Amino acid sequence: MTTVVPAQQSRGGGGTSGLYDVLELILDRGLVIDAFVRVSLVGIEILKIDVRIVVASVDTYLRFAEACNRLDLESGPNKSPGLPEVVEGITENGARSKTKGALSGAGETVSKAAQSVADAIRPAEEDEEEPRRRRPARKAAPKKSEESA
Amino acid sequence: MSTYVYGIARGEVTDLGDRLLGIGDPPLPVRALNEGDLAAIVSDCPPELKPRRRDLLAHQHVLAEVSDSHPVLPMRFGSVSSSDEDVRGVLAEHADRYHDQLNRLTDRVEYNVKAVHDENAVLHHVLAEEPELRAMAEANRAAGGGTYEERVRFGELVAGAVRAREVRDAKLVEEALAPAAEEVRPGPESGGWFLSLSLLLGKDAADPLLTAAADLEKTHPWLKLRVNGPLPPYSFVES
Repeated sequence: MTTVVPAQQSRGGGGTSGLYDVLELILDRGLVIDAFVRVSLVGIEILKIDVRIVVASVDTYLRFAEACNRLDLESGPNKSPGLPEVVEGITENGARSKTKGALSGAGETVSKAAQSVADAIRPAEEDEEEPRRRRPARKAAPKKSEESA
Repeated sequence: MSTYVYGIARGEVTDLGDRLLGIGDPPLPVRALNEGDLAAIVSDCPPELKPRRRDLLAHQHVLAEVSDSHPVLPMRFGSVSSSDEDVRGVLAEHADRYHDQLNRLTDRVEYNVKAVHDENAVLHHVLAEEPELRAMAEANRAAGGGTYEERVRFGELVAGAVRAREVRDAKLVEEALAPAAEEVRPGPESGGWFLSLSLLLGKDAADPLLTAAADLEKTHPWLKLRVNGPLPPYSFVES
């Protein structure tokens, strides 16, 4: 996922950040004054995509089933459920690599959403700036997002 | 030429010179329109205003720079007035309202926190919590993954359990972080995370929030928090 760090972030101690994480605030919050025109921002509606729609799909169900199938069920769940140790145990039990890969689960959803945000922004940019430099990032974009954009 | 407005600052802003550049390509110089004890931070508006990455960052950057020396009410991106005179007129007309807000937000910054789940960790947690799901998972595995229908059905139940976990964790995160803030508001609804929370903090008072977030991740390893800030108090201005 492409991360653009807003200039301001470098001075804050607030952890890693990208434009996508603050984008909605710049576009959706902030003072609105009736006497001023708010320029209609084509493509911004896509930011409102509810990822629940994506989550509630057969693809997701199959992915969850698959992921559960891969999980090492023997490494902790027999302990009292609901405690953090359950998962910590897993991590320590050498399933670390699996847990890492897990980010491709929730993380994937995140980066897909971020990607559709990116696509919402990018077409406007591509009209007139640096088409060459954009190409690699474009390549990395999931095809689906492009189609739905 | 129309006027693009970044924000409304308190006090006379005289020191922008040519050093601060705003939106547009090439970036347009930012200037201050002083009216009474308020100043609108503006630049010319480019002919075609679009939410380009660069322009969003420029909007953000201008607000960050000015807020170093003056309390500022951030405008939403894309606010345009027909002329400098009109902007001055708005400042004069609503001066009291803006002063009230500036007083409230002086030396305050916004932090935004987004929460996501580490998928494998949360799946493991869900299976550990719900014996029925765990039994299904074991049966499916014994059957080499199960049939397509079994996998869809099982996955749907798991998705429901994960969603329930998201609701609980959203509450958990909010309750854990809110004490570190003066004020808390939900972030705009959007995708990619199950919770977006904006917190209003004193300018140099982020440590309790960052500590609370780190502690939460430590005790709940399936939680991933992304903390962004300090930001102009976008979520705490009243239009």
